Order: sequence, then structure tokens, then C-alpha cells
Amino acid sequence: MIRTIVNDKQLLFGILGLIFLLLVAVLAPVIAPEDPYYYGPDVLNKLGENGHLLGTNKMGQDIFSMIIHGTRTSLKVAVISAFISGILGMLIGGVAGYFGGQVDRAISEFINIFMMLPTFFLILLIIALFGNSIYNVMVVIGITTWPSNAKLMRAQALSLRERTFVKAATAMGESRLQILFKYIIPNGVFPVIANTTVGMSNAILTEAGLSFLGLGDPNIISWGQMIYDGKAYLTSAWWIATFAGIAIVITVTIFYLLGDGLNHVMNPKRSKGKGV
Amino acid sequence: MDNVILDVRNFNVTYVNKYKKVYAVKDANFSINRGDSLGIVGESGSGKSTMAMALLRLLPEKSTEISGSAYFLGKDLVKLSEEELKKLRWKELSVVFQKSMNSLSPVHRIRTQVEDIYRVHNPKATREEIAERFIHLLKLVNLSDRVYNLYPHELSGGMLQRVSIAISLINNPKLLIMDEATTALDVVTQGQILDEVVKMEKEMDMTRIMITHDMSVVATSCNKVAVMYAGEIMELGYVKDVLKKPMHPYTKGLMASFPSLKGKKEKLQSIGGFLPDLSKKYEGCIFAPRCSSAMDICQKKPPVIEMENGRTVRCHLYGGER
Amino acid sequence: MRKYLVKRLLTGLLTIVIAFVINFLIINLAPGDPIKTLMGKESDDPVLRAALEEKYGLNKPLHIQFFSYLKTAMRGDLGISIIYNRPVADMIAEKLPATILLVLTSGVLSLIIGTAMGIVAARKEGTFIDVLFSGFSYILNSMPSFWLGLMLIIIFSTVLNILPTYGMNDARASYTGMAYVLDVIKHMILPVGTLVLIEIPMYYRIAKSSVLQVTNEDYILTLRATGMSEKKIFNKYIFRNAILPTVTIFGISLAYLITGVSLIETVFAWPGTGRLVLTAINQRDYPTLMGIYLIMSVSIAVVMIVVDIVYAILDPRIRY
Repeated sequence: MIRTIVNDKQLLFGILGLIFLLLVAVLAPVIAPEDPYYYGPDVLNKLGENGHLLGTNKMGQDIFSMIIHGTRTSLKVAVISAFISGILGMLIGGVAGYFGGQVDRAISEFINIFMMLPTFFLILLIIALFGNSIYNVMVVIGITTWPSNAKLMRAQALSLRERTFVKAATAMGESRLQILFKYIIPNGVFPVIANTTVGMSNAILTEAGLSFLGLGDPNIISWGQMIYDGKAYLTSAWWIATFAGIAIVITVTIFYLLGDGLNHVMNPKRSKGKGV
Repeated sequence: MDNVILDVRNFNVTYVNKYKKVYAVKDANFSINRGDSLGIVGESGSGKSTMAMALLRLLPEKSTEISGSAYFLGKDLVKLSEEELKKLRWKELSVVFQKSMNSLSPVHRIRTQVEDIYRVHNPKATREEIAERFIHLLKLVNLSDRVYNLYPHELSGGMLQRVSIAISLINNPKLLIMDEATTALDVVTQGQILDEVVKMEKEMDMTRIMITHDMSVVATSCNKVAVMYAGEIMELGYVKDVLKKPMHPYTKGLMASFPSLKGKKEKLQSIGGFLPDLSKKYEGCIFAPRCSSAMDICQKKPPVIEMENGRTVRCHLYGGER
Repeated sequence: MRKYLVKRLLTGLLTIVIAFVINFLIINLAPGDPIKTLMGKESDDPVLRAALEEKYGLNKPLHIQFFSYLKTAMRGDLGISIIYNRPVADMIAEKLPATILLVLTSGVLSLIIGTAMGIVAARKEGTFIDVLFSGFSYILNSMPSFWLGLMLIIIFSTVLNILPTYGMNDARASYTGMAYVLDVIKHMILPVGTLVLIEIPMYYRIAKSSVLQVTNEDYILTLRATGMSEKKIFNKYIFRNAILPTVTIFGISLAYLITGVSLIETVFAWPGTGRLVLTAINQRDYPTLMGIYLIMSVSIAVVMIVVDIVYAILDPRIRY
């Protein structure tokens, strides 16, 4: 397995990147030079001024430390929303694909309609109206992004349904629910896992977008919040918004690499021209 | 020599990539006369399709090495430039491929594609001329002229295959290569199409190479047969000779693995072992590991032994050194 | 074909209705209400509240509110904004053109540029151009749109000072005719540029993989065997087949733009419906919110239907 990982560049960098992010998040208090919530005396310092690697903002918070701690928030948002979205998608898609017939048709229509809803706006609405705690954000993103996972799972379930070992299980008298959870879902889950990395990227971007619109959780350090803060100081203190954005770009790229790498490993179909 | 349509000598095809070379076709030699129908039989991976594609130079140039010669109507296909090849393609030499469900562009009508294909060699042809010509061909393959205006997905597999055959004949080529052209069809349709092809051949004075893994196809529609294994031609000769008295152990094995309709019910015999790794070069006979008649001398590569009546065998059992 | 059309229209209609119901429920079930905003923070006069509720019909049961809204909406009356005291339909009509300008321009430009890049990368796969474009696309894909907008402002407005920072036109000058158009275009460059850069990766990926996939199809091999020129094969056969997924992506892209444009409008202070939405959310201006959401859902549904129909025209396999 190590060999597969090393050979596929994207998977390799994706996993290395992920380990890097996890380390930063876990070791944040150790790595960050200052407590990010410390409203220090050094206000609006430029890069490197007074020992602040990336400067400070209006409240005297050290940007570098904030970015390090922001990693925790982003990872939390990514994982929890993707988790919720994944579970929902797997269950709904699995039921639709495996049970087939009317159930499938009804659920598929439901999925299609859901996909046509303007989700970002829906999220905006819910957050604005129901409160902007970070947990709300995570749950809302999770319950609005499950359709793509459901579609993938459904396709898997449809093809797995015809496999011999599933038919054998039915013949042996296993109940439909048992088969769903014992065979269909565990075997069909891989593309969903690869897709959840995309979900994680989107979750981070969405949370950033919400924070930017002022709908984020002000009690939490998040990169989106930093960009929101930095907007007012764009001309005078450009570093506040810039580095937070770069952190987002790096993190999201890592998740995409991971997702692409996982996809490559699962579908090693590299056909360039006809083979023998 | 006017009678020889295709003469292939010392033909080799090697796939080259970063890590290794794969010797797909080794030292192939055969010639086809006008009016012949040569069946090339072999298992999957024996190199038969590769050879056909290589003759037409349809393999990616960057990763394929072709050596030897293949004289077609006096010109060596291996050495021709793209320009000259294009002049021959479809006009004198055409192909019918296997997976016909996808052998035509799904978003264009058959009519459109036929017109484009015909105009490659006849740029000034009018729609009416082309339609008339093609509908005549459709009749030959037993299809209604309604087919001309349809989209590919509106036809069944058998119908599409017939359309592909009709398209391949549009310029009255001298040589037609059918690469597993009936493999994806059911037996009944396959039989019909083979009958139609044989009939057409006579009418249009056409020569055919039939590539297949199915010996029965060769038996019913070809007059010559070449048996390929792991990239080498093991045996070559007239169908009636080879089928009645197979000489090469591999050919014998192939024949034995086909059940016969008449006679006693016997247990089917398969040939033990696996296909060799084509990226390695072999010192001796490449079939020796699986051959029940292998001898010591088979450690040395057997030469091609020429027998009477155009028969050749690549096996120590029939000559060479003892 | 007709059956397909009808089915699509019905599904679209159903989507709009459902979107609307969800929207209505969420807005009305959420904490906080506009009456409070109108009354001001200190006042809690029950009589005033009752009067205001009566005026805006907020004291009737939910389902009656729902149907009465639907009825009036069908006539084109989207209610009166509680906060601004103006007809919602008027407010939307004022701001909509600005948003449409951004959305359509960005949508079309990103389609052309992204697809062209993808086709070039596919034809020159493995070369430097391919690697360059792919890397570029990858990075762009990871950028938050609003951040990119801010960075562009820093580069082009603050540092280089060649493009305006915000707004749709220079409010201080009063240009007319051609000068006005040029001024608007000048103001459009950064917001449209941001949106185009954000959308390009989607088109690039799909165009590249589609062209690669089609090039390896059996029918292309057949056409090559006929001696047809590479140019013709590419322009007529590869292109027509490979372009299909792009059509679908165009629909998705427009849907994304319609909803996501509010972020960009905020960054660039562009006077469109996006910003209207945000103020309406913050002030709990229900009628405005519902009106905009309705327009948004309808536009997305219409876009999707049109895209599906165009796809069916281009791909004969779908109609049957």
C-alpha cells in the first residue's frame, strides 16, 4: 500500500499535506508564538514588526498565531460537515439504489429537486435566522450537501445489488436491512469517501463565505472571519486578509489532492490509445 | 505476382514504454492471394488484433516499433508516409472493428458520417450519388434503406455491425480486414452476416482477413488459416488441410477444445498453463512450456518449416534439426 | 422530444414550488421578526404590535399567509417591503439588471475561456502547457471567490491604481451614452474577472477530460482508419461529442453564479440583488427575502430546463 501511495503524486502530497494540517492543528498552542485571543498592545503592526511574523490586526492579535489556530476550526468544520453529509448520503443513496422500484424513483426525484435548490442561499438563510454558532454552520452544511454523496452511493448500490454475493445473502434469508448495512454500504462506500474530500473543501469555503458576510461565529478564530475583519483595512493593512486566504487556498488544495489521489487509486484506468 | 494482394515478411510489432518492451508480434510471415479469405485465429493476447492494427498503422506512433515489410499492391505499408497511407486507407484497404455499438459517432446521423467518409477520397461527390451507392450496399447486407437516416443508437448490435461492414465496402477496397467483427453478436446473427460477407466477396472480387478467436468462424467462411500464439504464427495453411490434419501441438489443442456436434460425447480438453509474459525474450519455442510433445530440442527456437501446399509449421516435430 | 419537454417543465415547476415552501417555512419559523425591527428596540406596545401585524397580515395562520402570498405573487405583486415600505417587485426590478449583467458576462466568458483551455490541454496532454494550465486551474479552484476579489482589488486598485475599487459606475461624474458604457465596463472588469477566474476550473476539467475520453473512443479510431484528416475529425466529430458535458456544466455554473454573486457584490459594492438579499436577511425583511428567493429559484429552474433542452437537441440519445 505504501508503494501505491508513493507512486501517485497527488495522493502522496495529499496525505503528506493532511498530516501537516493535522500536526498544525493539534500542536497549535505549541507552535503559535502568541495566544490568538490576546489583545495585545501592538496594533496594526506590519510584517515582522515587533516580532509579529505576519503582523497584527486592529485588536492587537498576532496574525500568524491566528492562522495556526484557525486550522483547528477549518478542520473541524470540514470533517464534521463532511461526516454528516456522508452519512446522510450513504443512507439515502443506499436505500434508493438497493431497494429500487418506487422507493428509488421517489428518492431520486427528491435528490434531483434538492440539488436544484440554491443551497448557498439556503445556508445563508438558516444561519442568519437560526443563529450563527459554529455548530449550526457545520450541521447546516452537512444537511445541504448530501445529494452528491447520495447519487454516488445509489449508483454503487444499483450495481452491487446484482452481484452474486448479495443475491446469495438474500437467498439465505438475510433481511433487506441486514444486507444493506452488512454488504451494500461497506462495499460501495469508497467513491463516497473520495467525494467527501471535495465536500470538505466546499465546507471550508462555505464557512469562509459565511464568515465573510458577517454570519460567522465571532467567538471562534476562523480564516473566513479574518478576511471579514481584513476587508475594512484592505488598503492600510493588507496582511490581515491576505494570509488567511492563502491558508484557505493551501488547505483546500490539499483536500483536492487527496480526493484526486483517492480517485486514481480506485479507478486506475489510464488508457492512452489502444492497448494489446 | 499480380495475384498476391498482401505479402508480409519478418513483421515485428513491439510496444515500448518507460519501463519495458512488449513483443506483441514476432517474425510474422504470410501472403494472401486475390480472392483468398485468411482467418487469423488465436487466444486473447495472441497478437492477432495488434498485427491487423499495425498493418494499417493505426497504433500510436510514439509507443510502437514496427519492423519488417508488408507489401500491399506493390507498396510497403511499413515504410509509407502518412500522406501516402491516407490515399490507401479505405480506398484499397479497409477495416471493420469489433465493438460496433460505439463504432460510429453517436451524435451524427449515419448518413452524415457516410458522406464524410466517402468524401475523403471523392471530395466532389454529391449527396444523391453517395446515398444511391450506400443504399445499394445496405441491400447487400440485408438492411432497409430507412437505416441511412437514423442515428446509431437506434439500431441493434447486429444492424450496426452490418452498417459497419457496408461502410467498409463503400470504395470497393481490394482488402478487407474484419477484426473480431462478429464476436459481440449472437450466433444466429453471426451466421447470417458471415453468409452475406462470403456472398459479397464473390460479387465484389474482394480479399478478406478475418481475425477471430472462434475456429468455427474460420471453418465456415475462410479458405486459409493462420494460427497465432503469443505473437508468433504457429501454423499456416489451407483451412481444409489444417482443420482435417492439424500439425502444430497448439493447433491440435485448439481443435480439441472445441466440442463437435457429431460423434461421441468426449470430455473437453483445455490446454494447461498460461500465456507467457510477452515482455521477455524467449530462447526456445514459446509454446514449449505448455506443450505435451516438448522435447529437449525445443529449447532452441524452431524455424518455420515449409511443407507442401502452402503449409507452414513452426515446430521441431516436423523438421529442422533433430 | 415533446414528452421530454413536458416532463422537464413539470419537474422544474415542482422544484420551484418545493423551494418556495421550504423557504417560506424557514423564514416564518425562525426566531426574530420584522415587527420588532419596525417598532424599535425599546417599544413593546401590544397595541402597536397588533396593528402592525394586522397591516402586514402576519397574524393569520401560516397556511393562509402562504396561499395569499402565492396568489398575489402570480399577479406579479411580491408584497411590500416591511423595512423600506416599497413594493418588493420594484426594488428587485431596480437591482436585477446589475446582477444579470455580472452573471451573464461571467458565465459566458468563463465558458469560452475555460473550455478553450481544456481543449488545448487535452490536445497537448503531457506538455508544459498542459501542466501549466492544470496547475493554474487547481489553484484557482481552491480560492475563496471573495478573497480573490479582495486580492485583485489590492493589486489593481491600490497598488497599480488602474481600475476602480467599487461600485458600478463613477457616481461623481455623470456620463451619458458611450462614455457611460465605458465607465461601467471599467467597473466591471474586476468583479467579472474574479467570477471568471473562479469558474474556469470547472469548465477546464470537464472539457479536458471529455476531449481525452472522446479521442479514445472506437468511432474516432474508425474515422482515422478511413483516412479522414485529423482536422476534420477534431472539428466535427471530437468537438461535437466532447462538448456535451460542457452544456450541463454551464447550467450548474449559472446556478452557482446566481447564488454566489452576493459575495462578489459585497466585495465590490456592486448595486445588485445580492446585496439586497443580505440586508434583507439581517433586517428580517420577509417579503423582500421571499421575493428574491422566488426570483432566484425561478431563474435557476429556468436555466436548468433550458440547459437540459439544449442538451437534448445536441445529443439525440437523450430524446428517446
